[in-house]
Amino acid sequence: MNIPVQTDSFFERFFRQNFFYFDRYPLVIKIAVLLTLIAVITILVAYSSILLRRFAAYLREKRLHAIHPHIDELLTEYVLLNEDAMMQVPVEEVRLQTEVFLSRQFRKRWQKQALIDRMIHFKKNVTGDISMLLTRVYVETGLDKFSMSKLKKMGWSSKVIGIVELTSMDMTIADVTILPLTNSRNRTLRAEARNAYIKLSKNDPFKFFDVTMEPLLMWNQLELFRTITTTEGLSIPNFARWISYSTNKSIVAFCLKLALHYNQREAIPSIIHLLNTRDHYLRADTINCLGKFMAEDAEEKLVHMYFNQPVNCQIEILKALGRIATGNHLDFLKNEFLRSTDFELRKNAAKSIIRHQALATQMIQELLSNATTENALILKHCMNPLIKY
Amino acid sequence: MEQPTLIEKITHFFESGIFIYGITLLISYSLLAILSLIAILRFQKEDRYVDYNLLITSKIPVGISVIAPAFNEGLTIISNVRSLMNLNYPRYEVIIVNDGSSDDTLEKMIREFELVPVDFAYHKRLNTFPVRKIFRSSNAAYSKLTVVDKVNGKSKADASNAGINAASFPYFLCTDVDCILNKDTLLRLIKPIIDEPRKRVIATGATLRMANSCEMDEGGITRVRVPKRIIPRFQEVEYIRAFVLGKMGWSAINCVPNVSGGLGLFDKDIVIRAGGYDPLSFGEDMELMIRMEAFCCSQKIDYAVRYIPLSLCWTEGPSTVKILRRQRIRWARGLIQLMSQHRRLLFNPFYGRLGLIVMPYNFLFELIAPVIEAVGIIYYIIMIITGNINTPYAIMLLVFVYIYSVMITTLAILWDQITYKTYKSWRETFSLCLMPFFEMLIYHPLVMLFSLRGYFNFITGQKHSWGNMQRQGFSNTPKK
Repeated sequence: MNIPVQTDSFFERFFRQNFFYFDRYPLVIKIAVLLTLIAVITILVAYSSILLRRFAAYLREKRLHAIHPHIDELLTEYVLLNEDAMMQVPVEEVRLQTEVFLSRQFRKRWQKQALIDRMIHFKKNVTGDISMLLTRVYVETGLDKFSMSKLKKMGWSSKVIGIVELTSMDMTIADVTILPLTNSRNRTLRAEARNAYIKLSKNDPFKFFDVTMEPLLMWNQLELFRTITTTEGLSIPNFARWISYSTNKSIVAFCLKLALHYNQREAIPSIIHLLNTRDHYLRADTINCLGKFMAEDAEEKLVHMYFNQPVNCQIEILKALGRIATGNHLDFLKNEFLRSTDFELRKNAAKSIIRHQALATQMIQELLSNATTENALILKHCMNPLIKY
Repeated sequence: MEQPTLIEKITHFFESGIFIYGITLLISYSLLAILSLIAILRFQKEDRYVDYNLLITSKIPVGISVIAPAFNEGLTIISNVRSLMNLNYPRYEVIIVNDGSSDDTLEKMIREFELVPVDFAYHKRLNTFPVRKIFRSSNAAYSKLTVVDKVNGKSKADASNAGINAASFPYFLCTDVDCILNKDTLLRLIKPIIDEPRKRVIATGATLRMANSCEMDEGGITRVRVPKRIIPRFQEVEYIRAFVLGKMGWSAINCVPNVSGGLGLFDKDIVIRAGGYDPLSFGEDMELMIRMEAFCCSQKIDYAVRYIPLSLCWTEGPSTVKILRRQRIRWARGLIQLMSQHRRLLFNPFYGRLGLIVMPYNFLFELIAPVIEAVGIIYYIIMIITGNINTPYAIMLLVFVYIYSVMITTLAILWDQITYKTYKSWRETFSLCLMPFFEMLIYHPLVMLFSLRGYFNFITGQKHSWGNMQRQGFSNTPKK
């Protein structure tokens, strides 16, 4: 008969070999001792890390502190104060002494990076020929290749840096390189690639509006809005295309803002059609957009649909009537002001009545003399120029 | 074999219970440390490419109301309001709620900001003490400012509710008028709300720090310093641990229990529907957060509460043991009051993470911890007196607990250093790094005792007086 032999666990063997002093102690104490040791090591590592991080930051700052003035000096002397550029010589023919940017002091990666960062900084603050000259220096010193190499790296963060650098320096990126990145799984990279695509693509910069399935977040909308409205030479499409056909609600909502920004009144019929959407948030955006367009054609429909709407849409309808301000629906606004039980509705009805200015003077006087204390207060609130909202 | 006596059985049960409790607590701290590190590194990586100027120049920004209740703040009110009106954000308003100050707070504001009473349509969505007057400035330079003058409601909650009623925008930032905010606070706090793909972010918060010893100019911080006095310095370490390690860790798994009353950006609609701040609560900020989360669960709203690891707010902390005692007794009362009010949420699966993680954790490791600690110390003393203690084992366990607590706080300081190089000099950083070694010996026992006193006061129904914070104020002259 085989008698099973009791073997030591790894933990017991470990202790016997390394901490023989504690061998006779109970398991709980052994664990405590081991964890104490780990904690001590962690504390030492943590303090070392704090020291090293501070030291590394100090060195980095010191190096940059030394090189930045030098870079600024070179950029000022050879680019900003370039004699040819000042004599209105075409940018392509301006004589540039790029060799000063290729000297030994710009060979290391961190030096190249510092040069790019300062160039981007300068580029943000200049326009016209000087801006184009900076791009020439960037290309002729091969820094564009340095930025481009970041696009080929594995990590999404390197790719984002590469895109930001190239777009900031007004460089074109081939569609074949940038398009796959507009569908990246990483949100930050995807957003940056889309911005770059709109800014740099020569073919169809708004292509991804057709294919994007996921919601366009408010933050991304802000980024895209800025890119679209500030990129020079961008051919602006008719946004009614997406307002009518896109199934992505956030794209539709975004296109409403763009249509409004570019005052595309030809989009108004599509926007009125969108009032039938089931999503009441999108409907509220649509009503808001119509109001800002001062779309008189929509007035009747807005009043007609008013009583079937949730409060957020009702508020937008009241605001829109105030913005359109034809005076055709002043009685409707007055009724809402007097009869609604909702404070916000009454306040917005009052604001819209007041927006009618001369058309509503008599009505306002009448309301002020007959209204309840609270309604009179609402009217006075809306009439007071010191109160903004 | 001899049967164990009843006392031996109780002793064994107690020791095993404490052992399991202690191990769970230590594991959860370790998990929080790991989670917070992941969250911080992720934040840092993504934040590197964010251009916050985008919001400043935006033509489609989200509006924010900044609400700051003020009670007898005559000494500093002007510079504080100026500081709030100088935030970097394109569309916001500042609402100062004068909560029936008995000093010249209101008069000073009227004079300085050329305020005039206006007929303001005040919508009382949340119940508060009566509002006397509402003021707006006749000077266009202060067009952002609204001052609500109300009858003293004996709580910050009541004043905050009045501010919410007067707010015009869909989000509001709640702060204390004496808190010093970073200029980019609104830009930073709105970002997680408008950049969230799936959930509705109902609140965001950021790290608070001690303003004691910091250098100030025109209501803004010009040089961050480690507090010179020992009590605020301990609090600085405590805040770093609570915000950078604790709340960032909880934020990573969407289990944030509390957005601080000193700095928090909230979804106004949810706050109003959840009933606003509770004026009877001693911990009104945490109570509101729990109620908002419970409301979202009951309405099936897929919510999130986010924290960012940046220091955006500086507040003056108690500088003496007496003031600290008053503050901590109130906090402890607030916690026990909250737990008893919302006990139905505890271990209730209907409330998801709130019922199964947030509430149980706060019950077991925040509320009960001081009690268990006190019982443990008494038990320890009895064992020593009766000679039933194995001295080497006891010392080894004590050393372990001590070193472990030092490790957790040190990691919090390291995480903070990773996020932001707050202190300029090595000396300051070093002086902060020393604090974890003394915290457990000096500061922690005090906090434990004050907490127990708070629980005792609550259980025995003793009346609580709010008292005055007795602020030292800040010097405006930067040191040479």
